[in-house]
Amino acid sequence: MKRRELLAALAAAPLAACTRDNRPRLNVYNWSAYIDPAMLARFGRERGVRIRYGTYESNEEMLAKVMTGNSGWDVVFPTHSRLVPMARAGLLAPLRGTRLPSLGNLDARFRAPVWDPDLRLGVPYMWNATGIVYNRAELHRRGTPEPRDWADLWNPALSGRLTMLDDPEDVIGACLQKLGYPFGSTDAGQLAAAKAEAVRQKPLLRAYINAEVRDQLVAGDVLAAQLWSTTASQAIHAEPKLSFAYPAGGFPLYCDCAAILRESARVELAHEFLEFLLLPDVAAANARVGETATANAAARTGVADPVLYPDDATYQRGTWPTALASVDQRYRDRLWTEIKSA
Amino acid sequence: MNLRRIFLFPARVWMALFFAAPLAIVCGYSFLTRGEYGGVEQPWTFENFTRLADPLYLAILWRSVRIAALATGLCVALGFPLALFIARAGKRRNLYLQLVLLPFWTSFLVRTYAWLFILRDTGLVNTVLQSLHIIDAPLQLLYNEGAVLAGLVYNFLPFFVLPMYATLERLDPALLEAAADLGARPLATLRRVIIPVSMPGIVAGAVLVFIPCLGAYLTPDLLGGGKTVMLGNLVQNQFTTARDWPFGSAASLVLMLASALLLAGLMRSRVRKELM
Amino acid sequence: MKRHALGIYAACILAFLHAPLAILILFSFNAGRFTIWEGFSTRWYTAALNDPQLTEGLLNSLIIAGVAAVLSTLIGTLAAYGMWRRNAPWLSGMLYLSLVTPEVVTGVSLLALCQWAFRFLHLRLGMHTVIVAHVAFSIAYVTIVVAARLRNYDRSLEEAAMDLGAGEWRAFTRVTLPSIAPAVAAAGLLALVVSFDDYVITSLVAGVDSETLPMVIYAMARRGVSPVVNAVSSLIVVAFGALILLSERLQER
Repeated sequence: MKRRELLAALAAAPLAACTRDNRPRLNVYNWSAYIDPAMLARFGRERGVRIRYGTYESNEEMLAKVMTGNSGWDVVFPTHSRLVPMARAGLLAPLRGTRLPSLGNLDARFRAPVWDPDLRLGVPYMWNATGIVYNRAELHRRGTPEPRDWADLWNPALSGRLTMLDDPEDVIGACLQKLGYPFGSTDAGQLAAAKAEAVRQKPLLRAYINAEVRDQLVAGDVLAAQLWSTTASQAIHAEPKLSFAYPAGGFPLYCDCAAILRESARVELAHEFLEFLLLPDVAAANARVGETATANAAARTGVADPVLYPDDATYQRGTWPTALASVDQRYRDRLWTEIKSA
Repeated sequence: MNLRRIFLFPARVWMALFFAAPLAIVCGYSFLTRGEYGGVEQPWTFENFTRLADPLYLAILWRSVRIAALATGLCVALGFPLALFIARAGKRRNLYLQLVLLPFWTSFLVRTYAWLFILRDTGLVNTVLQSLHIIDAPLQLLYNEGAVLAGLVYNFLPFFVLPMYATLERLDPALLEAAADLGARPLATLRRVIIPVSMPGIVAGAVLVFIPCLGAYLTPDLLGGGKTVMLGNLVQNQFTTARDWPFGSAASLVLMLASALLLAGLMRSRVRKELM
Repeated sequence: MKRHALGIYAACILAFLHAPLAILILFSFNAGRFTIWEGFSTRWYTAALNDPQLTEGLLNSLIIAGVAAVLSTLIGTLAAYGMWRRNAPWLSGMLYLSLVTPEVVTGVSLLALCQWAFRFLHLRLGMHTVIVAHVAFSIAYVTIVVAARLRNYDRSLEEAAMDLGAGEWRAFTRVTLPSIAPAVAAAGLLALVVSFDDYVITSLVAGVDSETLPMVIYAMARRGVSPVVNAVSSLIVVAFGALILLSERLQER
């Protein structure tokens, strides 16, 4: 009998701990490793609120939850191309600029972005590009030229030591750009040609793989990889023999933005949180801990990392992908299945 | 008789509410159209199913069945002797059973990444072989079908061993003694007595392994390097990157139908009653 | 002779099952961040124990797996016994179907149900939705394991008890249940393992305050093999290993 009571008490303890905390709550749903936990604690302390923080691994995972319209989250961080579709689906609460006086801290590139010129949908938070990371020293040793453009990833010398991202948008986009077509092309002929390129490249590939490749780049298993600039920068910090190239013929750019959900009952508090994220020292801490590129110019001091922050000439070559129409998305998915089955 | 009906009641309610009802929703989705941002929209259509009759998707179905069958065969070959050994281990049997289960307390992903450690170019196998001068250049052990099979067998072996053990543990020792008394050699006893008597357990275990293998997607992704598509990947992809819930629903209904047909074939045979 | 051969074979398979774990534990003591050995260190253990996300995930996982395993073992054992003599084609069909369903479909369909039901009920995604989902997919596993055992169970024992005047309930609790207890325990363990390990379904139906350990680990592992993950996994393996040895000792007395 005693043991049973003890078990009951043990089970009740965490429940009691939850209910006793009466501070207002703010529920924040973000990409993993994208914030400094100390900053969350600071916001909670300064405003007397309790932040409940959850993480996701892909836009789709977040969208699947948020589309229930009752997910329980207040603030989410979708990639820029998802903002407009989310707003059209009635999932986002419009931002009030007057509540966000620190918007001026943003980098000039993000004050009126093409996807959301008035910053009504989301506040640009972190950004990155897709490019090529490679093992400079080993390529020199083998006499293989350093990759400068997507086409260099079709070099047979890299056979078995080359990876591409496991992402249809990036892979098909790179094939399109290799052929001189636009990244977001919807032309059936161009897409078919791009698919043929991908199938031609496949025998050279070690794998279609995302962030996990970092480890194999550092260990030397992989010599060249299509990868995001933030992940590449983290790998380069661990192994200076690695380098990153922004493809000469163009590359995609992505920006994750802080947005408030329409279902939120704490829109005021959510605005306060977004404003807090814009403070220079907070943004700097978040970028430092996440090893990512912040969209906040005031947070950047000292020498900029050229991998995370490309110069203007390089940046001009980048494009911001837009959301595809349903029928185009379907066609691309079919091509992707064909590539993977080839 | 009433008691048995009461016993069935909780399972019936739970499965109806939290399995059948959600599935009915998915069935409904499979006849709808993909929404612009990933949800479902009118109009009603059969297009999601006609799209599946494509040779591209039939090839994926065949590949999945082949790989799952291979993995199941390996699980039976590895798991049966192990279950037999545990069932005969006397007082130690629980300890051994726990030893089989122990690895599965770690996350599925961690186990898969542990295999990455072992199989990659700078991994354990290649390092050892190279330092012994058996090979000069690292072998490409990762990102092929062999690695996928190893991962599947490793992850689903307990699903075979547990029901197998439950059956073998019940095996009447008198039966074995009788066989021995009649002069049967151990291998003959195994073939003529143990295996026929434990057939229900073998079938139950094989079914428990085959089905999750058929729908597996993380192992082919991580150990196969995303270079092959199995049915699980196809379905998963529709619900994630492609955001095509109606097509994903249709594909998963077909996957379930394929498995259900296989099961029905089994149920028609002698083991029907012995499964459940 | 044959028994020895069997023992060696079993030892090899156990080694196959445990080698990846041994390597995992070894690398959890690596001073470096990556998989190249850089010297002995316990820094990742310190980091793991100080990571609030990991400890919270572990607590959530233990609560969810515990509750789900108890519920599904109860429901599944009763169902297996109920189906032992009485035909229940609808239920057994559903249980089979639940095994055949790919995880992602189970998860998405439950999410779709929530999407629909939350319009009428004032509910949110959270720990309760995760537990409901885990029980739903564990019942079939429990039922199959217990049913496989009941097939080999000699029915005449129970009939004898009833002939001697025991009611159905008494015959069940006093005669049948004790003799199928090992299978029930094995089924419960299977349910516990399946629930503790699940990532796909959990990640789809989890909400605020219900991040489980596999979800935390997945997030870390996606960013490259974080040694913190190795440390946590090693701790879990060692803790459960010790528990098992302890329970063995207690049973031997």
